[in-house]
Amino acid sequence: MAPVQPPPVEQTVGRQGNYAGVVSRAVAFGVDVAAVWGLYTLGVYAVSLGTQLLFGKPLNVSKHQLAALIVVVIWGFFYFAYQWTLGGRTLGMALFGLQVVGADGSPVTGRQAVIRTLALPLSFLILPLALLMILIQRERRPLHDLIGGTAVVYAWDARAARLRWLAQKEPLPRTKTPELPAS
Amino acid sequence: MAGWSGPRATRRPAGRHPVAGRLGAARCDGARRGVGRPVSPNPVGDRFERLAQSIAERVVNLVLDAIDINAVVEQVDINALVADVDINAVVAEVDINALIERVDINAVIDRVDINALVQKVDLDAVVSQMDVDSLVEKTELGSIIAKSTTGVLTEVLDVVRSQGVGLDDFFARWTNLFLRRKAGTLPIGPPLLVAQPAPPALSPGAPTLERP
Repeated sequence: MAPVQPPPVEQTVGRQGNYAGVVSRAVAFGVDVAAVWGLYTLGVYAVSLGTQLLFGKPLNVSKHQLAALIVVVIWGFFYFAYQWTLGGRTLGMALFGLQVVGADGSPVTGRQAVIRTLALPLSFLILPLALLMILIQRERRPLHDLIGGTAVVYAWDARAARLRWLAQKEPLPRTKTPELPAS
Repeated sequence: MAGWSGPRATRRPAGRHPVAGRLGAARCDGARRGVGRPVSPNPVGDRFERLAQSIAERVVNLVLDAIDINAVVEQVDINALVADVDINAVVAEVDINALIERVDINAVIDRVDINALVQKVDLDAVVSQMDVDSLVEKTELGSIIAKSTTGVLTEVLDVVRSQGVGLDDFFARWTNLFLRRKAGTLPIGPPLLVAQPAPPALSPGAPTLERP
């Protein structure tokens, strides 16, 4: 069995509070978009089921596209703004150990969270620009971060993660005590 | 000198009682002279010996009073004296085990103020010198940590997150290379979260440096 290799030290230890990079943020955002879409779909299915039970006819979303779009936007706003206000992290960000903080590192306020959420569609609509800004900007802050006065940092306990990796390895065998000759 | 108990060693024989009258006085006089008891074989030499002893004692006391012992000790080269002593040989002759057995360790420990001792220890400095990675890796502490904290989800998260950080660094490195900027010049995090050299704290009324 091949020995377990811990992740390199520079990738784990001491990264807490550092500006998060483009890949972690993009994937976390992807998870969030999937969560928003998945929960919306589940909601629509539940409502459709309800209308079928009540009125005997399922809800046809394709006939109410504008209403569906408004619902999606409101739901998306609620999803991001509420979670950022609550703890500075969404579901996807929690998965990847990211957190939204103020530009100086202070906890994000409700106002900042709302402004950031309102500015998020700008980055979402021009996603390549947002990703490029994370790469190029000195503090890795895209448009919605600059507008909201926020930043995204690594917030997972990387030190503990490394210790867990090291702990997976078998400890060295104990030295055997020499047996005494039978008297 | 065997059998002679000295002139002062008067001892009344058992069963005798004081006798009154002249006979009694004569007997007492005889007893006072040591009649009937063993005497020194050389009484004159003995007196001289005692005289010499008392003179010697008197002379020694006078000499000791006249000598300044501290001045004498100051002239002694203690270092040279100690250098001549073979400490190893002395120590080799000491039975350490017997010495330790005579020491009441519990009494010694009872007299130690452990709290005061611990407060003097800089635990942070001690811990900072420990190689925690090595400790976890080489002892059963690691498996204890693993059993208590590691679940499948935790392992997956560790892997995903560390891989994400690795890719982040990869892209950041190439971007810095492309833009020809040094990674060391970029801020690594918000000032409140990243330990950065703090500027010297100035009180509101403190003088500030003025530009020329």
